[in-house]
Amino acid sequence: MYLDMHSHSVSSDDSRATVEQYVKWIQVLRKRGHTVDGIVLTEHRKFDFDKDYSALASQYNVLVLKGSELDTRYGHFLVYGVTPALTREIDFSDVRMDARALMQAARRHDAIALPAHPGRFGIGLTDYIAQGESFDDVEIVERLNGGSRQGENERADELCQSHNLLGIGGSDAHLTSHIATCMTDFEADIRNESNLVDALLGKAFQPVWLEDIVNGASGS
Amino acid sequence: MPYIDEVELGDEIGPVEKVATDEDVANFCDVWDAPEPNRFTDAEAAAKSGMPGMIVPGIMTMAMMAQLLTDWGGPGSIKDLDLVFRQPVPHNQPLTLAATITDVREEEGEHLVECDIMMTGTEGERYVGGKAIVILAARPVSS
Amino acid sequence: MAMELEYDRSLYGVEHKAGPFEITDEIIDRANSSTGETGPAFLSDEGAREAGYRGRIAPPTLCCILVRQVSLPDVKVKFGRTQMHAGQRVEPKAPVYAGDRLTASSHLKDVYTKTGRSGTMVFIVWETTFSNQDGQVVAEVQESFAKRE
Repeated sequence: MYLDMHSHSVSSDDSRATVEQYVKWIQVLRKRGHTVDGIVLTEHRKFDFDKDYSALASQYNVLVLKGSELDTRYGHFLVYGVTPALTREIDFSDVRMDARALMQAARRHDAIALPAHPGRFGIGLTDYIAQGESFDDVEIVERLNGGSRQGENERADELCQSHNLLGIGGSDAHLTSHIATCMTDFEADIRNESNLVDALLGKAFQPVWLEDIVNGASGS
Repeated sequence: MPYIDEVELGDEIGPVEKVATDEDVANFCDVWDAPEPNRFTDAEAAAKSGMPGMIVPGIMTMAMMAQLLTDWGGPGSIKDLDLVFRQPVPHNQPLTLAATITDVREEEGEHLVECDIMMTGTEGERYVGGKAIVILAARPVSS
Repeated sequence: MAMELEYDRSLYGVEHKAGPFEITDEIIDRANSSTGETGPAFLSDEGAREAGYRGRIAPPTLCCILVRQVSLPDVKVKFGRTQMHAGQRVEPKAPVYAGDRLTASSHLKDVYTKTGRSGTMVFIVWETTFSNQDGQVVAEVQESFAKRE
């Protein structure tokens, strides 16, 4: 199934799209022949425990899951399977947090944290690796990011190849019409955040561009 | 000016291409009363603040994007224009302005069109992006 | 330990007044010519009346231009050496006519930290309400500034 693994609603400081607008826009994409099964909201530096999107999800037949995008001293990390216990151990608002500690804490709490846009200039994991840092816990990165500038997705590609990493895809949408521009094609059937974490650990997925997913078939 | 029934989700407003010349920016900074020297009209000040060259003020790009909407919807049609200045905007380069309609609805008696609005560069650089809400009229019902 | 953000928190809840700003034909002319505005309602009384207004109106972003003249107090953020304009929002509420006299009232909305391609940044958000000589609100403007090293 096709999920956009990285998106921001108005709950993130720099987004101007509501979840309702995202799910309505997905109907436009579906009318155009694209397949979009769901989105994961990865709000900046927070997790919205109190937000319930199930009515919208049901009305528009779009899976809506919640995650976070955290700022760390080694760039941004996407976190899936966030629990209250994880947020008690890790201060989500700390922009200088230790990414390695985050990844380890996530695993202890049945969640997963992985590098977002690793090729992004100035803040991608590739820059920190070039400075001599190593990240042995990283097995999956966000290989395709819809908000990337020229050269950034390419750098992520090189990282995946050189370090034998798996890749997911996400739009990094901050505006309604940017949702689902990049997605992740999962073999597993995912219904909730716990299934999502299992699917990531199951390693059967690949990043895709929306334009390649027309009528459920991927262009080759 | 379109009527509300002529507009659909996914429709585009524009694209329109504009260029902000050195002279345009200098005139704008004059009206805007920008303190000098500044990174908009002074190359040295721009370099000192880490800019690749003299840049176009965010407010000036905002005025340009507002024009895209008022040329389309009418002079008083903007209800909300909310922009993020994402990347420094260069002088003397083609700037593409366009909006994509993402919602059409009626709220408190007004017919509203919501859109994503962007200013991009020749290599697809996302200079300015945000959201706008425009009020359109309903087609008059003939009696 | 999260980065302790030091700034003048006493500014919250305080309204800063500015003005009056006279909306002259000259100001509207200069704003129009600097941005290449050609909308007839912004150029003349005649153009405005044809569009249903009682007289010439200012383009909707004029208050965004004027808001620079509202001298806001220094938030005294202990971080960063350069400050950039990060974003702006305008909600026009009523037409601004040539000849109007506007006043402004501003307050600090938020201060927060984030990271991006330029490194760590502190964002400062101000909200300003513009009213005309009849006490009618003509625009709400929100400005966001980013401070970085």
